[in-house]
Amino acid sequence: MIYLFQLVNGIGLGMLYFLLAVGLSIIFGLLHFVNFAHGAFYLLGAYLVYDMTERGVNFWAGLLLAPIIVAGLAALTETVLLRRIYHLPHTFHILVTVGLALVVQELVIILWGPVGGNVSPPDALGGVFILGDFIYPQYRLFVIGLTLVLAIGLWWLLEGTRLGAVVRAGSESTDMVSLLGIDIVRVNTAVFALGAGLAGLAGALAAPIRGVEPFMGIEALGIAFVVVVIGGMGSYTGALIAGLLVGIVQSVMATLWPEGARLMIYLGMGLVILTMPRGLLGRA
Amino acid sequence: MLNRRDLLKSSALTAGSLLLPAGLRPAFAAGEDITIGAPLPMSGPFAANGKFGSMGTAMIVEEVGRILDRKLGYIEIDTEGKPATAVRKVQEAMERGVTLFSGGILSSEALAMGKEVAKGNGVFITTAGADEITGSECNKGTFRWSVPTFGAIEQTVRPLIEQLPDAKRWYTITPQYVFGDGLLNAAKAIFKEKGIEHVGNSYHSLTEKEFSGYLTNAMAAKPDALLILNFGSQSSDTLRQAVSFGMKQRMTILLAWASGLEQFETLGPDLMEGVYFGAQYWHGIDSPFNRELVAKVQAKHKMNPNYAFASAYLTTKLLIDAAAKAGSTDGPAVAKAMEGMKYAGLTGDEEIRAADHQVIKNYYLLKGKAKSAMKDKDDYADIISFGKSFQSPEEALCKMA
Repeated sequence: MIYLFQLVNGIGLGMLYFLLAVGLSIIFGLLHFVNFAHGAFYLLGAYLVYDMTERGVNFWAGLLLAPIIVAGLAALTETVLLRRIYHLPHTFHILVTVGLALVVQELVIILWGPVGGNVSPPDALGGVFILGDFIYPQYRLFVIGLTLVLAIGLWWLLEGTRLGAVVRAGSESTDMVSLLGIDIVRVNTAVFALGAGLAGLAGALAAPIRGVEPFMGIEALGIAFVVVVIGGMGSYTGALIAGLLVGIVQSVMATLWPEGARLMIYLGMGLVILTMPRGLLGRA
Repeated sequence: MLNRRDLLKSSALTAGSLLLPAGLRPAFAAGEDITIGAPLPMSGPFAANGKFGSMGTAMIVEEVGRILDRKLGYIEIDTEGKPATAVRKVQEAMERGVTLFSGGILSSEALAMGKEVAKGNGVFITTAGADEITGSECNKGTFRWSVPTFGAIEQTVRPLIEQLPDAKRWYTITPQYVFGDGLLNAAKAIFKEKGIEHVGNSYHSLTEKEFSGYLTNAMAAKPDALLILNFGSQSSDTLRQAVSFGMKQRMTILLAWASGLEQFETLGPDLMEGVYFGAQYWHGIDSPFNRELVAKVQAKHKMNPNYAFASAYLTTKLLIDAAAKAGSTDGPAVAKAMEGMKYAGLTGDEEIRAADHQVIKNYYLLKGKAKSAMKDKDDYADIISFGKSFQSPEEALCKMA
């Protein structure tokens, strides 16, 4: 029975990891850009919800506004700074985005202080769901449901819309897409904003579960990279499968071998790198 | 009253501009005669603690002003929370003639600095948690104010078992390293003595942030009490997630090693209500010295002193008093003056045990209050009980070099 609990818990964790990682994966897929500032967008999303709820703004409004603001800031960053370095080698991407992440982290400390804070879940979801021996926080169930809806919506966006077709085509050949008369620069900005907005949403959703503190972005970035490396860089489905795998392994291991729960995630990533260098569903 | 967060924000803004390249910032103008070193994590994840610690040291240094006909000052040393950095910067300070140090919030940096200062014939007093500081790695130059793991468990688990005779099944969540094992072993000894069933323990790594898996294990064991043995942000995460799983309504929760006010501010009363906490210090302690300190800090900084502030204030005071008593800042002379020192401290009458340099002081069991019952914004908890419990120096494995 306990493994069933851990499975459900793992799915909850995994959907959050998926949301965090899919943006990173999409950005890499289209832009071939390694974004080490992804955790900073997660951090901003969490702190925006924290700030708004502290000021008395309704949690739901905060949950809606935070990712939009993060996406807007990301679009601005992409336009002003990042698009100028796309053509440079990956080492420059890392250098600039790590610097950006540190700037965001320090700004968070200056604006909100080095001490973290707590975000209460909305009253309607503050309780627990009980079914026999199964007890699970209502808010975490809501997160599972919402991320599931978002995953379907995102899949539809990428697979069933013109924008999705452009993004997929762009990830194959940006030159060809440009030759077809599509403004790939604007598409790049939109995709970067979408990816960062998803990270912001993951941060906003995670705030009532984890609380907020200025260093949460680094931890999130680590998990996001693990998921993307396991799933395969640029793969939506890979991010979903890997996110769920990581969440379930982490949760089930908490019963099987608690002290090794975190180790197993990184061990799993190491195994994937050794046996499938492109990840489960990655491309060359 | 000044918002603590605002205070830290302004200090975060100014600290960077004030730091010298070497990371050593003289708090007073040059020309001072006696300088106390304050090696604290001024940057990194524990910077908030470091900043309050620095404020505590600054306040007592300013208050005393002069000893031995010499002007008193202090040097803020940013350890960055890293033992290697801490040791290097302490070495630099010692080369500049500093012999007395008060600081070291993290166990790893405190252990490293204590050895270094002792090697250079200086004196180092800390509030870090590792038992080894006054246990197996005790030395002639290192002193420790905080109660070790044994006393923290004796003064929290034991009184709680007595208060809750029906709580017969306990579950523990423990970080897997020496500190966690110290707390766990002390708890197991009490469980055995009191006939408590220890229904399970979840070990976790020091980097863990997600505790839902461990809490699921705990709930499946159907305990009457959950004993949280990690500390800092990990204990906040564990408690936050335990409350979200509805565990507060189903069992008693004890967080044995809380940081006090600085942690309670991040948790808030909704999470804390009805939860028990162990603490080294609380601004509501009814002792003459503490009442005096609280009044002074409120007057000067418009806030209540937290653990990092109050403990740094006191430990720096101990160094200053000992130097005055010894008539010198020479390390061995100051250490000798500190050994056996009895004084009216923050937690009442305190004494520095000569054999292992451990301060004998009270440890507190607190209980979180409902928001509606709080008399002011910092009134998060009531003191339920307190007392002194220490192993002998031999039991703590101290063989003074």
